[in-house]
Amino acid sequence: MASVLQENNVAQRSFVHLDHWMERYQQADPEAPVALIAALSPALLCFFRSQPANREQADDLLQDTWLRIHRVRHTYRPGEPVLPWVYAIARRVGVDGYRKTRHIVAHETAMEALPEWPARAEPPNKLPAFEELVAALPAAQQEVVTLLKVGGLSLEEVARATSSTVGAVKQKAHRAYEGLRKLLRIHAEDELGGGAP
Amino acid sequence: MNCKDISQALIDRSMASLLPSEVEDHLPTCSRCRHLVRALSFPAPEARPSPAISRRIATGIAADLRPVQPIAPKSYLFAAFLGIFIVSVGLGVSRVGAFAIAVMSPLQTSVILCTLALSTGLLAYSLVHQIVPGSCHRVSPSQLPLGVAISLMIVIAVLFHFQHEQNFWAKSWACIRAGTPIAALAAVPLWFILHRGTVLWPRMTGAGTGLLAGLVGTTALEIHCPNLGAWHILVGHLGVSVLGAMTGLLIGVAAENGRLGRRLNDSVTRNFADKNLYLR
Repeated sequence: MASVLQENNVAQRSFVHLDHWMERYQQADPEAPVALIAALSPALLCFFRSQPANREQADDLLQDTWLRIHRVRHTYRPGEPVLPWVYAIARRVGVDGYRKTRHIVAHETAMEALPEWPARAEPPNKLPAFEELVAALPAAQQEVVTLLKVGGLSLEEVARATSSTVGAVKQKAHRAYEGLRKLLRIHAEDELGGGAP
Repeated sequence: MNCKDISQALIDRSMASLLPSEVEDHLPTCSRCRHLVRALSFPAPEARPSPAISRRIATGIAADLRPVQPIAPKSYLFAAFLGIFIVSVGLGVSRVGAFAIAVMSPLQTSVILCTLALSTGLLAYSLVHQIVPGSCHRVSPSQLPLGVAISLMIVIAVLFHFQHEQNFWAKSWACIRAGTPIAALAAVPLWFILHRGTVLWPRMTGAGTGLLAGLVGTTALEIHCPNLGAWHILVGHLGVSVLGAMTGLLIGVAAENGRLGRRLNDSVTRNFADKNLYLR
């Protein structure tokens, strides 16, 4: 079980030499953006899709994030970790995306029914899916757990990405896991009493 | 091993480093931890952008690809912030005069000026990190401006005496009017430095920058104004900093709303382009 936990992280799959590619991107090497897009886009897409408020706009937000990364690529300092830099920008784009959606929803009337999202496959042991669980947490805790679990970032990297301190991130993560325990217990109790009228 | 240790191990991603016996002792006896570990053991959801989107992003970037100079080292930016502070205070004091130094005790002079210098240093350090995404923060940037303002209030309340003063509001207003232009003078070069980086959170950075500019005015007034009443210093001198922070915050709010407006336009444009609704 422990080893599975370690293998989960999207970030651990293909994030080698990112700093090298970032430096070449700043030097306008045409291969660098292609390599970075291939390495980082799946993780960024995952990050946006794991946010309930941004799930439907994930593709748009991915493009916005790359647009923003391109505009501010000079702010990456060679030698610094790339992932917190990228996630810090993605996080801002996510907040803007959420506000944009809220703004549009507030001013528009739905003209036609929205397409339904395909139902997510239930895990074999009937535990709720990760996104469902995390969606019940407060936004700040949700973000920390998502970055730790989906982004595969370390505590310090999450602190960097969220403009926060390591202590604050640790506290949020502890509270989030305590919240998840409670949710899972409620879920387990519901499962047990599911057959009752 | 207890539930807290399991949480800690999950946070540190050190489950593999735990002794299996320690985990096995706890998990069978604790259904909450067992469920939590199982829930977090499922693979993270897979996502891969469509080749068309990846191609569009790559094409867009390639069309505008040119070399860029990485932002200056943090120490340079920090020195620039401090340089602006010192030069602006110097210019302000040379214009209004340094009458307070003669009437303050050495303790009052050293403590208040050291506190202002420390506050400036902390704010400059925080801003240097705020304009570079993914920087390591030792102090929470969102709480720092409030912490600085409260610390200064406490120091002023301890160092100076609260006394009744005639024409209190007129005198305080005169100091605010003298300090505000000095703060505004400092805000212009500070804004130029901010633009060397990127401001991801305009409200937070705006409040911090406004407070830093306001501290220039407050410091100049502390050196200039011989009125040592605590109420006067709190309202007339520290008020300049608070006004600066509020102005910065409002500019940040306006910048965020402006950005949202631009994003809405961009989004509409892109959606139309995607659906080939533009008539050529």
